[in-house]
Amino acid sequence: MPVVVCERVSKRFWLAHDRPRSFQELVIGFWRRSRGGEDLWALREVTFSVEAGEVFGVIGANGSGKSTLLKIIAGILAPTAGQVLVRGRLAALLELGAGFHPDLTGRENIFLNGALLGFSRAEIARRFEEIVAFAELERFVDTPLKHYSSGMQVRLGFAIAVSSDPEVLLADEVLAVGDERFQRKCLERIAHLVRQGGAVILVSHNLDLVRSLCGRALWLERGEVRALGAAAEVVDQYQAAVGAPSLAGRGLASGIGQRWGSREVEITRVDLVDRSGQPRTVFWTGEPFAVRIWYQAHRSVARPVFGIAIHAGEGMVLTGPNTRLANRPIPVVEGPGLVEYRVEALNLLRGLYYLTVAVYDEYLIHAYDHHDRLYAFRVEQPPAISDRFGCLYLPADWSHHPGRRPAEVPVPLRAET
Amino acid sequence: MTTALQRITVARPAGLRDLPGQVRQLLAWRGLLLALVARDLKARYKHSVIGFFWSLLNPLLMMTIFTIVFQVLWANNTIPLYPLFVLTGLLPWNWCAGAITAGVGSIVHNGHLITKVAFPREVLPLAVVIAHGVNFLLALIPLFALLVLFGAPFTPALLLLPGVVLVQGLFLGGLVLFLAALNVFFRDTAVIVEVLLLGWFFLTPVFYRVEDLTRTAARVLYIVNPMASLLACYRQIFLHGVVPAPDFLARTAVECGLIFLGGYLFFLRLAPRFAEEV
Repeated sequence: MPVVVCERVSKRFWLAHDRPRSFQELVIGFWRRSRGGEDLWALREVTFSVEAGEVFGVIGANGSGKSTLLKIIAGILAPTAGQVLVRGRLAALLELGAGFHPDLTGRENIFLNGALLGFSRAEIARRFEEIVAFAELERFVDTPLKHYSSGMQVRLGFAIAVSSDPEVLLADEVLAVGDERFQRKCLERIAHLVRQGGAVILVSHNLDLVRSLCGRALWLERGEVRALGAAAEVVDQYQAAVGAPSLAGRGLASGIGQRWGSREVEITRVDLVDRSGQPRTVFWTGEPFAVRIWYQAHRSVARPVFGIAIHAGEGMVLTGPNTRLANRPIPVVEGPGLVEYRVEALNLLRGLYYLTVAVYDEYLIHAYDHHDRLYAFRVEQPPAISDRFGCLYLPADWSHHPGRRPAEVPVPLRAET
Repeated sequence: MTTALQRITVARPAGLRDLPGQVRQLLAWRGLLLALVARDLKARYKHSVIGFFWSLLNPLLMMTIFTIVFQVLWANNTIPLYPLFVLTGLLPWNWCAGAITAGVGSIVHNGHLITKVAFPREVLPLAVVIAHGVNFLLALIPLFALLVLFGAPFTPALLLLPGVVLVQGLFLGGLVLFLAALNVFFRDTAVIVEVLLLGWFFLTPVFYRVEDLTRTAARVLYIVNPMASLLACYRQIFLHGVVPAPDFLARTAVECGLIFLGGYLFFLRLAPRFAEEV
């Protein structure tokens, strides 16, 4: 018996470039008739159904429409076309503990959060002990939430959401939080739910988890269904397409960011190449590596500055060199060309990195073409490099000198051999 | 499982015929409405015992100021029991101003909920109106104490009070629903409302009598400003112990009911797009 049916669901977002946000802008907008903007189809004709007792996975790169799909099933967003049918009580774990109030106690927050999920006060009261026990917060129920650690808040949010024994559970990446023991507990709880005839729709970048937990899976690419079927097969197809090492899992093909700029100089292609000049998306720690930026200057542009940035995950910039800082001025560009950034040794540890590539004017103020985190690459470690923490590899050595005291002659940095 | 399939389809503008379904849904979510009201009140009074008494004390101090200005300093003020006259105007006005000021941003400020949790969006502005309504009811306690002190008449007309409170609640509910939805799309709404509220205060007979205005002004005021009509009802009940004229009462109730309906429909029309805009 299907519990969730999606029939040709489409969702269009209007990406306005200068949407009036105030009355002043609105009035000005009447004079300037054309308002910039473009349509973005986040989902296009997505059709599938999920049966009772099934764990259904949804995979795809960032921006492929996974979260939009979950939000439509949850009733948060309205589809532009098509329809969704849901049977029974639905719980959506899009963000654990949305609506927690820091000044209220754990007890008060349980009632408030439960009410947000549609429970009556009596229902919450009946499940109160169970929720507190599952979240392991017996000693803290009457403490204001602001004194909870983030782990405690996450546990409480999950406990409230699953306590309703939902017939349909939507989970967006939420299993990636909490410590390992609590994650296991959540998975057991999900398994229990499924045994009772519930259905789970799971969005995750953790392909190993999708492969082991889900029966079937859906692969979304730019809002369209690329594959639908047995989870293991869909994950295999996905990994093959994105060129991720098939055992390493956690593959991601493209980046997550945006592009902007006036495009007098346009970056037409970016390659990450190895020592033989072959484009690759996976590199070994310590390997030579180069970024090739192919450009097309539509008019003569003087003193452009090319630059890149490497980001650890979605966040921190690890390095951000450019041709101006490196004192490699480019007098003028016109027509096509190539700028190359070469690295002797790529001293990054295992992980996923994003690459930003940009070309600016000589003062780094005006962007001709800025590709913010549009490219992704993965680094794998050869067995000889055993570092595990952080993302930087510093070729280094440890030494030990028993019996030495600080007052004695300092140990020279380079040990005499 | 016997539960029926719920249908989520393309968002189309809500019309009058969707209203019964929407109201049923809202009633099913009354638990959330009450929880949000409780959150609002608790969070406000959490940090101090004084906090609660302050909300009782504030109108009394305002009353004192108005009395000093308009009875002691003013040359010929003929309004009898002026402190009570001001207080009976101030309390409903404070409910109005408080609910609107807090309610305009009730959708925008709860953006993290709108984009992450599915629930009828109208509970957010309505909870603000109700929470301020609870404050208003609590502030009636010192009012009653003063009424006893000044020997105001207690008559069966008081039985009409819940009805008038309900009508004001409907009026504020409709207005706040309208403003909260508008503010999602035009953020200037909150700023403009702040200015308009001041003008509205002076156009509402809080510290003067409508009878002291010109005849036309009084008539227009009663029609375009439901707060003027509501204050007149409150004063007849509290100060004079008489039942307001039935036609006056009915006109006010119908006007406020229509404002609620209009505000609610406007809100429902825009609500499906909130998650994309906040």
